[in-house]
Amino acid sequence: MTTRILVVDDDTALAEMIGIVLRSEGFDPVFCADGAQAVDAFRQASPDLVLLDLMLPGLDGIEVAERIRASSGTPIIMLTAKSDTADVVRGLESGADDYMVKPFNPKELVARVRARLRPSSAGAASQSVQVGDLTIDVAAHEVRRGDTRINLTPLEFDLLLALANKPQQVFTREMLLEQVWGYHYKADTRLVNVHVQRLRAKVEHDPDNPRIVQTVRGVGYRAGT
Amino acid sequence: MTSAALRVDAAWWRRPAEWPAAIVRAWSRSLQFRTVLITVCLSGVAILVTGLVISYSVGNDLYQSRLDQALRDADRAQQQVQSSLDATDASDPATVLGLGQAVKTVVQGASSSRMMAFSRAPGQPADPQAPTDYTAGGMRPSLISPQLSQAVAKSSGTLYSQSVALPVDADSPSRTHPGVIVGSQIHLPTAGTYQLFLGYDLSDAEQTLNFVQRTLLLAGIALIALIGAVTFVVVRFVVAPIQLAAATSRRLAAGDLEVRIPETGEDVFTTLARSFNAMADSLQRQITQLATLSQLQQRFVSDVSHELRTPLTTIRLASEHLHDRKGAFDETTSRTAELLHAQVERFDLLLSDLLEISRYDAGSVSLELEPASLVRLAEDAIEEFEPLARANGTELQLVAPGGYSEVPMDARRVRRVIRNLIGNAIEHGEGEPIDIIVDSNATAVALAVRDRGMGMSESDVGHVFDRFWRADPSRRRTIGGTGLGLAISQEDALIHGGVIDVWSRPGEGSCFRLTLPRRRGGPIAESPIPLGPAETEGS
Repeated sequence: MTTRILVVDDDTALAEMIGIVLRSEGFDPVFCADGAQAVDAFRQASPDLVLLDLMLPGLDGIEVAERIRASSGTPIIMLTAKSDTADVVRGLESGADDYMVKPFNPKELVARVRARLRPSSAGAASQSVQVGDLTIDVAAHEVRRGDTRINLTPLEFDLLLALANKPQQVFTREMLLEQVWGYHYKADTRLVNVHVQRLRAKVEHDPDNPRIVQTVRGVGYRAGT
Repeated sequence: MTSAALRVDAAWWRRPAEWPAAIVRAWSRSLQFRTVLITVCLSGVAILVTGLVISYSVGNDLYQSRLDQALRDADRAQQQVQSSLDATDASDPATVLGLGQAVKTVVQGASSSRMMAFSRAPGQPADPQAPTDYTAGGMRPSLISPQLSQAVAKSSGTLYSQSVALPVDADSPSRTHPGVIVGSQIHLPTAGTYQLFLGYDLSDAEQTLNFVQRTLLLAGIALIALIGAVTFVVVRFVVAPIQLAAATSRRLAAGDLEVRIPETGEDVFTTLARSFNAMADSLQRQITQLATLSQLQQRFVSDVSHELRTPLTTIRLASEHLHDRKGAFDETTSRTAELLHAQVERFDLLLSDLLEISRYDAGSVSLELEPASLVRLAEDAIEEFEPLARANGTELQLVAPGGYSEVPMDARRVRRVIRNLIGNAIEHGEGEPIDIIVDSNATAVALAVRDRGMGMSESDVGHVFDRFWRADPSRRRTIGGTGLGLAISQEDALIHGGVIDVWSRPGEGSCFRLTLPRRRGGPIAESPIPLGPAETEGS
């Protein structure tokens, strides 16, 4: 079964070109050129990954990302012409897992797509990991607090699992970028910050006073015990 | 407003040693202080002179009238004494001998003075029948000067007077008050000529004079104070609007374009206020207009750059796609794909530089500070450029006596500056060795890149940071620079509170030096690396 990727971009030339690149790498691209129809297209195609332009007619990319996130944890990579902090952070906060600044080159695109589709690398560690009052069921890709299931996106799951697998270790943002996002070079550490915030909002009792994902000042993050 | 000059020296009056300095400061700073001081000084001099004149003439008048009074009194006494003497029967020597006491009685009845001296005029033969000399009422013979005595002796009909200092009482001769002694001749029957001296105390006149002088002094001081106060108030009326205008223009100059002077009344200051406000209006209009224009232009550049990104992405994906498959094309098409690929990359660089500079122009750049070591960044950059340097036959040498400690900086931007400087040095270094020097001192860290290439003329050095400026347009480019590199580097340095300096001489090469403050916003006393050939050559 081929991996299906939904490309949401109003620039048909770019969408088609991205399609050519993806197809030549063995993916199955489907297209949508309008923000308002993107969510429907997502439901119909049920893709494994979404490439989402930030500026779209109808509904802008940030809102599309929020709507997709409301029902699904499917990886979303934003395509943006702006590398300005505010837009990138807004996009990540709306639920995108990663972003790419135009103009990007095809190798980079494919590498990012592969990194997001890669199965969780932490799977081999053990069947179940305990962190704070949470239980991570690695095989079922599930996180429970008591009997309540907490919905995490695959990325958030990977992030939590990476920290929980080595509770004694402090992870720098760069280490997390490499382990969770698959970057092998210095990338934007805001990715980590924003996703740690999103993860805390879901798993912490009090996100302002985090116990499960703790900040180590000046270094990075660590799983609480 | 007027308190401005005073507020500065709020506590100066607590330290008397600083008074002269404080006064000099106030003199040079405050028109009001100056005006009040001058007015007070000049009117003080006028009042002093007037007071002295009044005091002198009042004193004179008082003395004269008291003297006249004393003379009249003495005259009356002398005449009564003389007439009573003339009426005496002088046949009896005992009577004559008792005449001295009789004179005293008459004098006490006729004169207000109780101080008297009765003495036989000099130059007469001794006569046992004559009454003896005596003094009464605190008079002392020593008070009567020989000159007075001689003058009295010379003429019989005239009264002579002399000012003397009368002792207040016998015990303390040092305390005296003014007095006058009036002398006259009297003729005793058979006993000859005698002199009668009467002393008059003038201390009441002195007291009056003292009172007048005191009053004058108090009135003078009060008048000076009043003049000072009036001047202060009047000058304040004049100075306050000027100070208001000054403060308003200061605020306007500081960028507060909304500020205006209130226009009240119809006087000359209102005219000033009106023209000032008109000027401020016009300034504000023009500045707003310029700001809008500049904003529009910046937004245009930014929008264009953004709009170009989407098609450029497509072009880039396409060119990469073709480039990856160039083996399948014939030779010409393959070369075309290569050229396309290289130029798209260059275009991409140019666009991102353009976007970066437009971000600086719009002032929308924020630093992401993290502690970083300048030496470490330099090492990374040198490693990165090693292949290119080798291809140019250039040797890159790192000389780092200091700069290892971590200093807060935006590492991405500083790395970009270093890459740019080294890239330029390789391009213009003509294969000669290139030194990369890193050092630090108490206030700054610095990195200098010194090449020994063709260098630049002085006029070229002035343009190196200009956008799209090229030192030598005819020269073949080996590294695809965008022409914005140094301009962006300079902005990168400036936003850190640092600077890039350049030294260059034709034929000797160039030295670009980046200096960054050790603390964010901290001052740079001096760059740790000297800029120039002699020092760098020695390393």
